[in-house]
Amino acid sequence: MTEMDIRLTVNGKLQHVKAESIRTLLSILREDIGLTGTKDGCSSGDCGACVVMMNEQVVNSCMVLAPQADGSRVITVEGLARNGELHPLQRAFGETWAFQCGFCTPGMLISCYALLLSNDNPSRDEILTAIAGNFCRCTGYQGVVNAVQQAAAELRAGSAGEDVQHG
Amino acid sequence: MAESGVIGRWVSAPGAHDIVTGKARYCPDLDFPGILSGKLLYSPHARARIRHLDVSAARKIPGVFAVLTHADIPGENSYLYAEPDQPLLVVDEIRFQGDAVVAVAAIDEQTADAALRAIQVEYQALDGIFDPLGAMQAGSDQVVAGKDNILMHKTYRTGDVEAALASADVIVENTYSTQWAEHAFLETEGGVSLVDEDGVVTVYSSCQAPHRDRMQVARALGLPESRVRVITPYIGGAFGGKDEAHVQIHAALLAHATHRPVRLIRGRKESILTHVKRHPFIVHCITAATSEGRLLAVKARAIADAGPYSNATHEVLNKFGEFIGGPYTVQNLEVEKIAVRTNNPITGAFRGFGAPQAAFVYESQMDELARKLGMDPLEIRLLNGVDTGTRMYTGVVVREGKAMKASLSKAAEMIGWEQRRKLERRPAPHLRRGWGMATILKGSGMGRGLPDHAGVLLEMHRDGSVVLQSGAADMGQGIVTVLAQLAAESLGVDMSSVHVARADTARAPDAGASCASRQVMVSGNAVLRAAVPIRNSLLQVAAEKTGIGKDHLSLRGGRLHVDGEPHDFSVADLAKRALFRGYPLHAEGRYELEYPTDAAEPTYRYSQEIFQFCTQIAQVLVDCETGQVKVERLIAVHDAGKMINPGGVFGQIEGGVAQGIGYALTEELRVKEGHTLNASLENYVIPMALDIPELEMDVLEMPEPLGTPLGAKGIAESPIIPTAPAIRNAIFDAIGKPLHQLPMTAERVLAALDAP
Repeated sequence: MTEMDIRLTVNGKLQHVKAESIRTLLSILREDIGLTGTKDGCSSGDCGACVVMMNEQVVNSCMVLAPQADGSRVITVEGLARNGELHPLQRAFGETWAFQCGFCTPGMLISCYALLLSNDNPSRDEILTAIAGNFCRCTGYQGVVNAVQQAAAELRAGSAGEDVQHG
Repeated sequence: MAESGVIGRWVSAPGAHDIVTGKARYCPDLDFPGILSGKLLYSPHARARIRHLDVSAARKIPGVFAVLTHADIPGENSYLYAEPDQPLLVVDEIRFQGDAVVAVAAIDEQTADAALRAIQVEYQALDGIFDPLGAMQAGSDQVVAGKDNILMHKTYRTGDVEAALASADVIVENTYSTQWAEHAFLETEGGVSLVDEDGVVTVYSSCQAPHRDRMQVARALGLPESRVRVITPYIGGAFGGKDEAHVQIHAALLAHATHRPVRLIRGRKESILTHVKRHPFIVHCITAATSEGRLLAVKARAIADAGPYSNATHEVLNKFGEFIGGPYTVQNLEVEKIAVRTNNPITGAFRGFGAPQAAFVYESQMDELARKLGMDPLEIRLLNGVDTGTRMYTGVVVREGKAMKASLSKAAEMIGWEQRRKLERRPAPHLRRGWGMATILKGSGMGRGLPDHAGVLLEMHRDGSVVLQSGAADMGQGIVTVLAQLAAESLGVDMSSVHVARADTARAPDAGASCASRQVMVSGNAVLRAAVPIRNSLLQVAAEKTGIGKDHLSLRGGRLHVDGEPHDFSVADLAKRALFRGYPLHAEGRYELEYPTDAAEPTYRYSQEIFQFCTQIAQVLVDCETGQVKVERLIAVHDAGKMINPGGVFGQIEGGVAQGIGYALTEELRVKEGHTLNASLENYVIPMALDIPELEMDVLEMPEPLGTPLGAKGIAESPIIPTAPAIRNAIFDAIGKPLHQLPMTAERVLAALDAP
């Protein structure tokens, strides 16, 4: 199988990897770039543990092949904190017990982060719709709803309401 | 215990920062120089004889470091902690779809896959034994040659059931069936193993019982346990499904054989095909009552499909029988428990451990009884409910049972039970609304007569920081948070000063498995005990330095307090001084759940005596055209004994209910001739965010006398148990037709509607 040169920007940093065309974005992130925050729960696009943002879209990174990722801008869970300071969403997830085992959290956070980029005051239904593809087996979704609303309020109140997307 | 700071408060988990930043490392994230990929070869048959196995071609592939068959296992080729009857690698006969035949380790995944493909196995397919009822018949072909297909057959009797049945005014008699259910922990089973510089085989294990894993790994490797070390990294859920060992043993075999680190992670399909499921049950049940609604007798006969190996089958059936009378005062009870070997999927521990199947039966029976008697479902439950002091059908005297009726009343109040009929029961011609309740009990702890203890090591350093070594696995249920809270509270420091190390058998004493909702009681109380001598050392130093009597001194928020007022000395000042003086700031705490001998011994063997009472009420809307059931409201009222960490408690309830809704309505592994047809998260239908109503929860705190001084009961298992019968009873209320089979899919609801 032929290896391709793949260039992509991950969390604002340009990455250059050589990867066979059947490799997935998920495996490139985890194995080539060493960002293991993004998880593999099923390898079939059903669970949402591997959700990242790619070119402003929420994608299951296990369903994205290397050539599709070439030239893209990707944000993973590792890219949410800035200068060591947690994004309000990350803090809220901890405070509201939006997770137990935490394996779904990286994908869940990205889905919620993407929602907040386009909606600064989401309703419960809008949040549930945004995370409809993120499977949590431990603790259900109420904590996530609470966390997103808490973070949204904080973002609206602060200057950080103008959340600039990077990557 | 005195409360000042973090007990009972919403606190963040100590691991929260790592989890939300992606730094938390689970087995699949662990990396070591030269690490190999491990994989297992499975049979395409549910039952077959291996006529010929040739791994020579696989061994020659460049980049393949090990290809192991049963002949390459240095120790015992069998595992399972209670009765090790499952082969690690099959010798001659495949007995279910998840039997592994060969283990390989290679430089990367593709090379490992190539090795699997190069292995030649000649199978002779055999006729499988898939029907447990047929397998029970005399003369049936044997699943395991020389062993009876009936793995277990026990009957428990108390009172005079036949006389009670003869004198009853009302009898309800039904046959129920339940399904194979899948844990679907989001992180599949995995193990990473390496041989360290001292020659110790180290295993990072996604598990519930690190010390028991150590025993099983040592047995397979033929090594003393002192040469094996098991560490739990972050673990992505378990729910009983990682109670038994899995691929961590194979990872250790491969690391031992290659002297290289090996990572072996099951794929999702592989995971579903191989690990234990919740036992499917067929239960025939007769419930008898007087015309006033007093329960007279319960007579049940349960047949469970065990698959080919023992796993936790004995224990699960034992729990089923222990709870089949429900939280009721019935005194005449007979339960026959039969487990049958088949070539179907293996079955074992899953949150609730036999109690969900029992609750589906007894709570369905209660509503049919109420219907026959023209009684209200709440009324018949309050009439028959146990209370503090009740001697149950197991012989157990309930020490703290107020929550049985309290949870019923509270849940009824929350949903507006008395006023429920004011809501439209038929909001559209094809829609029917209904309400149903279920109240249950589930024991915490291993049960009387079984070992139930834990140890911890607690140490304070000169800067006042604290490290806690516990062998209790945290799979997400939150024991690490609870132990950190208790250590912080006991030593008067902030939670941020306490580091709870990942469970590591080389460092921490055995805490037993994280199962049976027990760790908060045993490990939690062990922390309280460990803290005593450390606190004494600190207060001794403080008394010496200040000249004030110890009775006036206390530690809070990292500071010495004199008669409740903050003093200049910090805990760190005291720690430094104590260590200078040679006073011990480290201690082992041990706790064993001890049952008092004053009460009569229970007649039911290994009975649990600490009860998680709870009630759930569901409001559903049934679409009579499609058969679909929408859960509109769900009330959950649970007794936690004493709530240490509310975030964890409410999370456990919500997660359990979500699993319960799936168990009630959609989750079912479809198995045909030993093969699972829907082994994916796409086709095994689990409720997602949009499928679960906003839960209405309340937590009662009725401190448990046995679990002193803490009083906490554990809350892990009870939330999943009443959900399915509550929904079932709501559907019964809505459509007037009873269902007796789980899950209650649209097809089954339609069939019930069509029933005469």
